[in-house]
Amino acid sequence: MDSSLIHFGHWLQNRPFALAIAGSDWAYPFVQATHFTGLSLWVGTNVAVDLNLLGVGKKSAPPLQLSDTLFIWNWIGFGIAVIGGFLLFSVSAETYLSNIAFLTKLAMLIPLGLALHIVIQRKAPTWEKSSQTSSVAKFAGFTELLLWLCVVTAAVLIPYVG
Amino acid sequence: MLLHLCRWLQDNSFIVAINGTSWTAAALEIVHYFSMFILVGSMVVVDLRVLGLVGRRQDATELAGRLFPWIWISFALNFLSGFLMFAGSATSYYRNDVFYDKVVVIVLAIVTNIIVQQRVSGWNRLPAMPASAKVLAAVSIVLWIGAIVAGVEVPALIGVG
Repeated sequence: MDSSLIHFGHWLQNRPFALAIAGSDWAYPFVQATHFTGLSLWVGTNVAVDLNLLGVGKKSAPPLQLSDTLFIWNWIGFGIAVIGGFLLFSVSAETYLSNIAFLTKLAMLIPLGLALHIVIQRKAPTWEKSSQTSSVAKFAGFTELLLWLCVVTAAVLIPYVG
Repeated sequence: MLLHLCRWLQDNSFIVAINGTSWTAAALEIVHYFSMFILVGSMVVVDLRVLGLVGRRQDATELAGRLFPWIWISFALNFLSGFLMFAGSATSYYRNDVFYDKVVVIVLAIVTNIIVQQRVSGWNRLPAMPASAKVLAAVSIVLWIGAIVAGVEVPALIGVG
């Protein structure tokens, strides 16, 4: 692995805040819980929009403007997840930066998921208006669902490959 | 008696196999996390709608009607994956106080889900969400966050899972 990346990891995990979290019995689990709470909001609202685009369970119900409705809480969830995730990363940055599952998650899957998410968020108001879901909307919704599932998979695999 | 049951579960050949193979153990975790995010995220959105903090222009009954199927499907997946992981180290969980707290908090949270689901269309017909509904929704959010906190405390304090 690139040595400047490892240097950065070494520097980060020796910052006072990172050492404080690592050294405390209760701080680490609470940071974890923060990360998971943010993720619940982020993934929960994303999946709700994706399933709506897929037309699953629609059954002649009136079109639901989910994407706009959930917009603010969607990004609040993302913000919380990023803050929690960054703190968890800081605690053992050097290890994470040499873990293939973590690097795949951070450098590939999350940017892909985010890019698609932003596209969906821009198009969804038009897509959601029609009662007949277009195949493009379905494809986008399905792909996003799959991408976030891959992100979770990569995250779970971090200790398995490390 | 309960400990007997835990030991029996833990020694069951299917439970041993599913927790002992790394890819099935990882798959259980993936299902558990992903379904938990959908379960908690969707329920919190319904609670926030009752509190008037999300999409006031969106009809509460319709929003709840659309999200509750996902909430219950993800709860089923979450429970199933959680149970299989519990079974793999049942005797360790048996001795873990935080795990009991987690179960109690989740049962209470599920009760709030059921009440909100049954009452939401009635509340929606009133000119404004009643205060009791808002209190229940706030309690529901606190309980679900509490379930996550208890969930991360289980492995942190005992070293299982």
